[in-house]
Amino acid sequence: MNFNQYKREISAAIAFLVLLIVVGIASPSFFGAGNLGDLVINNAPFLLIAIGMTLVILLGEIDISVGSQFAVASVLAGVLAKSGVPVPLLFVIIPLIGVAMGAINGALIGWFKLPSIIVTLAMLVAWRDGLRWVTEGAWVQNLPSNFQWFGLGQSTGQIVIVAIPLIIFLIFAWSLRNLNIGRAIYAVGSDSEAARLAGIEPKTITFGVFALMGGLVGLAALLNAVRFNEIPSNAGIGLELKAVAAVVVGGAAITGGRGTLIGTIIGVALLGTIGTALTFLGINPFWEKAIQGVIILAALVSDILLRKYEEKLSTDANR
Amino acid sequence: MQEAIKQTELQTEQPFLARFFPNNEWVLIAVLLFEVLLFSVIGNNFFTSSNGFEITRLAVEIGLLALAMTPIIITGGIDLSVGSMMGLSAVVFGALWRDAHVPLPLAIVITLAVGILGGYLNGAMITKLKFPPLIVTLGTFSLFRGIAEGLTRGIENYFGFPQEYLFLGQGYIFGVIPTQLPIFIIAIFVIFWILQRTAFGRSLYAIGYSQEGARHAGIKVRRSLTIIYTLSGFMASLAAVIYVAHLGQAKSDAGTGYELMAITAVVLGGASIFGGRGTILGTILGLFAIVILQNGLRLSGLPTELAGILTGVLLVAVILFDRFSKTASSVNKVSFSEEEFEVKNSQVGFICAAIVLTGLLIAGSNWMLFSSINKGGSTVPATNASSQNASQTTPPTGKKAVIGMMPKAKGDPYFISCKKGADEAAKELGAELLWDGPTDLDPAKQNEVVEAWITRGVDAIAVSVENKEAISTVLKKAKDKGIKVITWDADSNKDARDFLINQATPQGIGETLMDETARMLGGKGEFAIVTASLSAANQNEWIKYIKERMAAKYPDIKLVAIQPSDGDRDRAFQETQNILKVYPNVKVIMGIAAPAVPGIAEAVKQSGKTDVKVTGLSLPNMCKPYIKSGIVDSIVLWNTGDLGYLSVYAANALVNNKLKQGDKTIEAGKLKSIEVVGDEVRLGKPFIFNKDNVDNFDF
Repeated sequence: MNFNQYKREISAAIAFLVLLIVVGIASPSFFGAGNLGDLVINNAPFLLIAIGMTLVILLGEIDISVGSQFAVASVLAGVLAKSGVPVPLLFVIIPLIGVAMGAINGALIGWFKLPSIIVTLAMLVAWRDGLRWVTEGAWVQNLPSNFQWFGLGQSTGQIVIVAIPLIIFLIFAWSLRNLNIGRAIYAVGSDSEAARLAGIEPKTITFGVFALMGGLVGLAALLNAVRFNEIPSNAGIGLELKAVAAVVVGGAAITGGRGTLIGTIIGVALLGTIGTALTFLGINPFWEKAIQGVIILAALVSDILLRKYEEKLSTDANR
Repeated sequence: MQEAIKQTELQTEQPFLARFFPNNEWVLIAVLLFEVLLFSVIGNNFFTSSNGFEITRLAVEIGLLALAMTPIIITGGIDLSVGSMMGLSAVVFGALWRDAHVPLPLAIVITLAVGILGGYLNGAMITKLKFPPLIVTLGTFSLFRGIAEGLTRGIENYFGFPQEYLFLGQGYIFGVIPTQLPIFIIAIFVIFWILQRTAFGRSLYAIGYSQEGARHAGIKVRRSLTIIYTLSGFMASLAAVIYVAHLGQAKSDAGTGYELMAITAVVLGGASIFGGRGTILGTILGLFAIVILQNGLRLSGLPTELAGILTGVLLVAVILFDRFSKTASSVNKVSFSEEEFEVKNSQVGFICAAIVLTGLLIAGSNWMLFSSINKGGSTVPATNASSQNASQTTPPTGKKAVIGMMPKAKGDPYFISCKKGADEAAKELGAELLWDGPTDLDPAKQNEVVEAWITRGVDAIAVSVENKEAISTVLKKAKDKGIKVITWDADSNKDARDFLINQATPQGIGETLMDETARMLGGKGEFAIVTASLSAANQNEWIKYIKERMAAKYPDIKLVAIQPSDGDRDRAFQETQNILKVYPNVKVIMGIAAPAVPGIAEAVKQSGKTDVKVTGLSLPNMCKPYIKSGIVDSIVLWNTGDLGYLSVYAANALVNNKLKQGDKTIEAGKLKSIEVVGDEVRLGKPFIFNKDNVDNFDF
C-alpha cells in the first residue's frame, strides 16, 4: 500500500487509535462486547449519510440539508407504516422520497449551477419549518407492532441495521475506485472543466450525486426509525455538521477531488465514539462540545505536521 | 431571433440599473416593498413608526454579524463561528462583571478583546495553516460554544446588570429611537466605507476573484484575510454586548443559530458565495427582507413557520434570478467558468415535475398524518380555524378578548397538549387565541414575539417563560401599555406579571420526582438523570431541588451522573446506554425532558436489564407503551390540557376585570372553582401517572 496516498486517512486512524488506547487504559469496560455492539448499531445509519456526504464533498460541493431531509423521511416512514403500507415496501418508498428531495437539490445545483451551500441552506430551513408547520411537533405514535426491527425481533433487526450500511459501504468503496462513474466523480471534483472536455458530463454527475445523497438519507432515516416504536418530528437536528465533520476528519478535501470512503468510516468511528468515550472517562459533559471542536482542529493540524514532515523528507532527498 | 431582441432590450436598461444597483439590489428592493405593502394590508399595526423602529432593534445583532460576514464572503470565505463567539463573549462579559467585579466599561473592552482574539485565531489558522475557512470555523463553532458551556457549566446565568448598561439594548433616544440603532448605522457606514471606498476593500474583491492573481498583483492576501476574520470576531463580541443588554442576561446559549441567519442575509443580498461579488447595500436589504418577513407574519397572525419556508424559496429565487440575469453575468464574468450556461427545456420540466411530485408525496402523507392524529377528535385545527368556530358560538359575557399565548417552544409535544385545552377554553369564551412562540432554540425569540404582540395590540399575554430575566423587561413594557400579563407553566419575575398559573412549583416537581425515585430504590442506591440541554433553565432548577431533597431526606441515595439529551429522543437513548454501562449500579434513571423518557425507556428495554426502573417528567401518551410494560414505573406531570384551559380562562377573567388581587377563587368552566393564593392561580399538585391510571388520560 502506498503510504502517501493514504496519509490523511492514516492520521485520522492514529487519532482514533489514541482515543481508543486512552479510554482502554482508563476504563477497560469500554471494550465490553455490549458497548462495542451498541456503538456500531447507533452509528450504522449515520454511516450511510456520511457515505453520501463523501461523494458530495468529493465533487467540491456540500449538502447541509441532510438533517432536515432526515426528519421529513423519518416522519413519512412512520406515517406510511401507520396507514398500512407493508414494512418491506417502505424500503423502496422512503429512499425514493429521499431521492426526490435530493433531486431538487441536484437539479438546482447541477443544471442551474447554483452554489450548493446556498441551495441546501434554503432547503435546510424550508424542510425543517415545513415539517414543523404540518406536524406541529407531534410525534408519530401507535406504530404497527411489525414496525420496530421490521418485525424481526431485536437481535435479527440489529443485524439488518448494521448489515445494510456495511454492504452499501463496500459497494460504494469498490465502485468509487474501480468503476468509471466513481472515477468521474473524482474528475469532476478536481476540475469540472477538464472533466467536461474529457467527455464526462459534470451536470449529470452532480445531479446524480445529490439525488443519491437524498436516497441514502432516506434509507438512513428508515433504519434509524425502526430501532424505536415512536417517531419524533424533530429528528436529525445538527446532523449536517456532524456528517461534514466526519468526512473532513476522515481526510477528504472540502475543495473536492480528494478523499476516500475508508477515511470516512474512520471519521464516523472517531466522531461516533467521542461522546461515549467521554462518559466512560468520567469527563463532565459540559466540555463535550469544546473537545469535539479540538478534535476537528487537531485532525487538521496532524495533517499539517504530516505535510511538513513530507516536505522535509523530499528536500532531504533532493540534497 | 427572440434572444437578440431580449439582449438589446436589456442593454438599453443596463446603464441605469447597473449604475445605481451594481448587483441587482433592485430585485430585493422590490421584494421589500412587496412585503411592506402586503403586511400593511393584512397585518395589525404593521405600518407604524414604532414598529419600524422595533424591527431595526431586532435586526441589530444579526445585522452586525452580517456586516462583518460580507467582506469574508466577498473573499470567498465563510465564518460559521460567529454565533458561538457571541455565546463565549456573553459569558466572559457576564463573569467579568459579576464574579470578577470588573467595572462595566472595562468588562466591555475585555470582551471585545476576546472577540478579536477568537477572530484572529480563525484568521491565523486559515492563512498560516492554509485550511479552508469552512472547516476551521466549523471547528471553532464547536470550540467557542463548548468553552462557553464549560466555563459556566451550562447553568450560570448572569443578570441584574445596571440600568445604564441595559439602556444600550432596551432604551430609546429621544423616546423613539432604539439606542443600538446609531451603533448599527455607524457600523454600516464604517464597513461600507472600508469595503467599497478604500484600496483595502477593493483588494478584498480581488482576492475573491482570484487569490493567486491578487497575490501577484502585490496584495498582501494573508494580512487582508487575517484582518477581516479578526473584524468578524470583534463584531460578534460587539453583537454579544448589545445582545446581553437587549435581553438583560448573559448565558452560554447566546446567538445560537445566528451564523446561518447572517449568512442567509448576506447571500440574499446578492453576495456570491464563490467570492468577488457583494455589496453592503445588498446585505442590509437582505437582512431586512428576512426580519420584516418574520415580524410581518407575526403581526398578521400567520404561522411563523412560513418564514422559514419563504426564506428558503426567496433565497433560491434570488440566486436563480441572478443566474439568469445578463446584468449580473456581465459584471461577474470571471467567477463562473466560461462554460456555456444552458438548460434544456426537458430539464426545467424535470425540476418542476420533481418539485410537484415531492410536494404531492409529502402533502399526501401529511394528510394521512393529520387524519391519524385527529382520530381522537377535534384537536389540531390551526388558531385561525378555532377562532372562526368560536365566533359562531355566542360569547357568554364580556368583550371578545384577544389573548396571545406563548409556549417555550412551538413544536414541543408537551405544549401541543397544553394548546388543546387552551383552544377549548377560547372556544367556550369566544376569545381570540393567538398561539405563537419560538420554533428553535434561540432564547431571544420569546422577547420578539411579545414585542410583536405589544405592537399588534392584544388584551392579554400568557407566557410560559424560558428565560426569566430576559423576558421580564419586555413583559413589564406590556403591562405599562395596559396589557394584562399572566405567566403559566414557568414564572417570570413577580413584578412583570399580574398572575401566575401555577401547575406545580419547581420545588414541588423536584421533590415529587425525588420521592418517586427513592420509593423505587427503596431508600438506598444510585440513580442518574438525563436532562434537556445543559443550559435549560427549568431543568436546572428542578435538579437543584432534587439535590436539596436528596441531601435532606435520603442520605443513602447517590446521584451519579447528569447527562444532556438536547430534547432529542435518540440522544437520550444513547446517553442511557452509556450510563447503564459506566455506572452498573444505577437502578433508576430519571428523565426530566418529555422526549427523553421514551428514549431512556427504549434503551433500558433493549439492554435487557430488568432491574433498572425509569421515571421522570413526560407525557402519558408518549410513555404509555413503556408504562404498561413496566419499564417506566411512573411519570410525574399535571393535566397539561387543564393548564392551557385554565390559563385562557384566567387571562379572559383579567381582561374583563373578573379576577383581581385578593380574590380567593376563580370560576374556570369545566374545572369549576379554582383556588387563588395571592397572585397565584393553583391548578393543584403534580400528578403521578402509573400502570393503573395511565389509560384514563389522552395527552
